[in-house]
Amino acid sequence: MTELIDRTDAAAETPVLEELSMQQAINRALRVLLAEDPNVLVFGEDVGALGGVFRVTDGLQKEFGDQRVFDTPLAESAIMGMAVGLAMNGWRPVPELQFDGFAYPAIDQIVNQVARMNYRTRGAAPMPITLRLPSFGGIQAPEHHGESLEALFAHTPGLKVAAPSDPADAYGLLLQSVRSDDPVVYMEPKARYWDRRPVRLSEPTDPIGTSRIVRPGRHATLIAWGAMVHRCVQVAELAAEDGVELEVLDLRWLKPIDAAGLAASVARTKRAVVVHEAPLTAGLGAEVATLVTEQCFRDLAAPVQRVTGFDVPYPAGPLEPQYLPTIDRILFAVQRTLEY
Amino acid sequence: MSANLVGDVTMRYADLHPQSPAEAAPVLLLHGFGTDFGMNWQAAGWPQLLGAAGLRVIGPDLRGHGASGKPADDTAYLPERFTSDLVALLDELGVERVDAVGYSMGSRLAWELALTRPERVRRLVLGGFGPVNAFDGTDLSALGEGTTPFDQVFRTVAALPGNDPAALAACARGQAARPFSAEPPVAVPTLLVTGAKDEIATGAAELAAAVDGAHVEVPGRDHVNAVSSRLFKQAVLDFLTS
Amino acid sequence: MAEENVTFTLPDLGEGLVEATVLEWQVSVGDVVERNAPLVEVETTKSAVVIPSPKAGRIVELHAQEDQVVPVGDPLVTFAVQAQEQQAGIVGRVPTEEARPARRVRLKPPSD
Repeated sequence: MTELIDRTDAAAETPVLEELSMQQAINRALRVLLAEDPNVLVFGEDVGALGGVFRVTDGLQKEFGDQRVFDTPLAESAIMGMAVGLAMNGWRPVPELQFDGFAYPAIDQIVNQVARMNYRTRGAAPMPITLRLPSFGGIQAPEHHGESLEALFAHTPGLKVAAPSDPADAYGLLLQSVRSDDPVVYMEPKARYWDRRPVRLSEPTDPIGTSRIVRPGRHATLIAWGAMVHRCVQVAELAAEDGVELEVLDLRWLKPIDAAGLAASVARTKRAVVVHEAPLTAGLGAEVATLVTEQCFRDLAAPVQRVTGFDVPYPAGPLEPQYLPTIDRILFAVQRTLEY
Repeated sequence: MSANLVGDVTMRYADLHPQSPAEAAPVLLLHGFGTDFGMNWQAAGWPQLLGAAGLRVIGPDLRGHGASGKPADDTAYLPERFTSDLVALLDELGVERVDAVGYSMGSRLAWELALTRPERVRRLVLGGFGPVNAFDGTDLSALGEGTTPFDQVFRTVAALPGNDPAALAACARGQAARPFSAEPPVAVPTLLVTGAKDEIATGAAELAAAVDGAHVEVPGRDHVNAVSSRLFKQAVLDFLTS
Repeated sequence: MAEENVTFTLPDLGEGLVEATVLEWQVSVGDVVERNAPLVEVETTKSAVVIPSPKAGRIVELHAQEDQVVPVGDPLVTFAVQAQEQQAGIVGRVPTEEARPARRVRLKPPSD
């Protein structure tokens, strides 16, 4: 007596190793999502015919048609409001707001509708919306094109927040975000869009809300997300020349935060430095430092250090290298924890 | 695609390129002891090669292995239990006859299938296999503790992530309970392929002669690394498509 | 179109294995290979594996002999591929990557 269960269409072929940029990996994920679920809709400013200002949605409209991949007016509040209405009618919207700083005009829709509708309707109207938000700085663009809004979104109950750091994770985290019935703000680190490396795109296996050790070490943990993960890996490589082994933890999910993952790493290394691009005051680094301190107070050999942007509006392009956490600022913070 | 077949033990299997032309027999790939379809065949590039030749590939994780169920009693691993799994799988997929390609323990089971259900097997390939008792001298109650070649194999595979040493030990005992015999011989066209340095497959040439089959030896390869060899693959492809 | 050389390093083959032995190259210098075509057979402590080509291109150099043990991350093969221009978005610039970033701060390892 046999019956067939669990018939999945996941390709049983071993995932192929291929060299892809993060742009291409996100594009692949969108293709998979559009193909697997007819309710998935991709829309935003220039995502259709142009294929996105960073080519992330390149070819999608041609492949899936202009009913499923379409351009919108230049009106961010309308884009998010449309996503709310579509979600209430059974669609699975994947809107893009072209740049981090363009999210501000849509905050009313995001905070008052997207984040609360499920709660307000006692579960009758879930919001399976994934807001793709090209985020953070590092590409010398004008004002409104280099901001880090993660603390704002993480502080809004009802939203999940993801920020991948490399092509493989960008692929996996986007699949998870869109398949989730909760709204997710998916922050794409623009500075890493062109990061090409051999990757194996595969179905995500870690649940939502798990961090990832990118590089193991024993003397201190560097905690980062988005583009700062790469910078921390560079720092760890340099520190290794001095005989200091730094662990690099990619938080990946900024809400929910992997408190247990943070504790497990810092309990081993006894020192922690959190690095982000956003300004210092009330940034997400404060939350991370608190979670570490609450859980690892007795293990800590030094106070948790923060290396962040400054408490100023995001500067014009030429000043970016001074604003963003530099290698030396991170190394200096590490040294402070080592000699505390 | 991959799926699970549920019987007394759940079987995970891959069914790749199922749209292949009906006149070609699908290829049933049977992995060796302590590995699984992915490790034995996929990582070595077999489904890709067979797919490019227009062949459908059916690749189960045998009971006790991979993502299939792992019962812990010895009798669950008698060769006939494996062959009934395989027949159930072919029935489920609506496949009448296959070309059965085995490696090591998979060869032992492919032989069993060809012997007991000759109507289901068109051609038979035995890789990394000879008519010797693989368990010779091994203490089956303390597997992995001795120094025989099988003890060494057991130690290696028992340590692989995802493997269940207790299930593998039961599997070894179940297999050992029915020692291989070349008598009676199988009645389907047979090819044996072995690495020249494969000590576990001693006597493959004689077995090939006894069943009126062919034997191909892969120079320089041993039991572990013969399976990915181009020569091995080409010999099988030629044999299956001739 | 201009060509550029790209070197492919031995990828992590999974399960924490740190090295692999080259069994047999399935390409030679000068061959033009398709992406995903069989590139090289390697053996780990676990099994024999065929690594498919991550690129379409011409083989310029094989960095390991057969039977040589290669650590994960070491160069395996160099391809000449059609140069891809790093196209910036409509806004901003592609960040330049320094091979070895400059530093001034040096660390003293902790005594514990």
